[in-house]
Amino acid sequence: MNNPDTSSQYGPIGECGLRFFGKVSASISHEIKNVLAIINENAGLLEDLSFAAQRGAAIDPERLNRACLQFSKQIRRADGIIKNMNQFAHSVDQFAAPVDLCNTTELVCNLAGRLAAMRKITLQIIPPHAPVVIDANPFLLENLIWLGLEYALENTSEALSLTLAPEQSDSGTSLRITGIDGLSEDFSDKLPAGCKDLLSASNAHLAVDTAHKALIIHLS
Amino acid sequence: MSEKILLIDDEQDFLNIMAERMEARDMNVSTASSAKEGLEKAAAGTFDAVILDLRMPEMDGMEALKILKEKNPDLEVILLTGHATLKDGVEAMKLGALDLLEKPADINTLTERIHSAHAKKLVFFEKKNEEMIKNIMGTKGW
Repeated sequence: MNNPDTSSQYGPIGECGLRFFGKVSASISHEIKNVLAIINENAGLLEDLSFAAQRGAAIDPERLNRACLQFSKQIRRADGIIKNMNQFAHSVDQFAAPVDLCNTTELVCNLAGRLAAMRKITLQIIPPHAPVVIDANPFLLENLIWLGLEYALENTSEALSLTLAPEQSDSGTSLRITGIDGLSEDFSDKLPAGCKDLLSASNAHLAVDTAHKALIIHLS
Repeated sequence: MSEKILLIDDEQDFLNIMAERMEARDMNVSTASSAKEGLEKAAAGTFDAVILDLRMPEMDGMEALKILKEKNPDLEVILLTGHATLKDGVEAMKLGALDLLEKPADINTLTERIHSAHAKKLVFFEKKNEEMIKNIMGTKGW
């Protein structure tokens, strides 16, 4: 996983990695468009109020205040989206780095937030007692968690909750995604395209715990 | 006469502000925060136009458009989307949408489309009335 040669890092997962980048970018741009639409309408409302005031109508200060609160709320929302996008974009800067698994899981959950919301599924991270830090290629790790989460979202009924728990034990480091009610033993046939290449490039493997409806990504 | 509009979007903040701005333009606005709720409201009332978000949880706007048009082919539907692709546009028109507008939409453009939906509906009812009167006259031999 720590080979600094670009082709051997990304070559085998080229299409899968590009698809991941594309999906994340599309989701982010869609979310930003929604934020812009709300800001646009609130700006339009101020224009409406100012137009009415020019014709002698009284302006309700409370209404102005609510519009300002909406601006702040949407700016905070966009700021959060862009921070995640920036962190994601910089994940290709280094081929190998010490990575906090919980932070990376949180980033991927934020990036997948819209996809989860579309299925009304809640994502919850269970933080480990102590930080779980591994040497990894940040982008490949994000891609791997994304694919695991994508599989989990597609195989979980609407309005349920998925928990993601980074774990470290004597047997190694893993991420456990629990709550997949449609999980089956033949899960490997349902894995998204490119998953096997990505697992191989990341020196990782997947396992299922059907009793706990969990998909486990073993990272070392 | 004010237009009766049904606004369907899963973004509650967007729904609230759009409803407020349309009401300020003398429209009578009902809102729904999911396609399912929107379909129920559309079935229970009479509207001049439905403004429908394309990407929503559970059921997307395209599927909702199909159902709305199946139940009431004369209902005018305007789709709103964050990103309008050519494919979406073609599909929306095939399903009978009046227009597909991209967010953030200009309120004047949207208002114009709503007025044209209302006008189309009035023409449709005028024609229907004319036909009905002609039928009555024919039956009675007047």
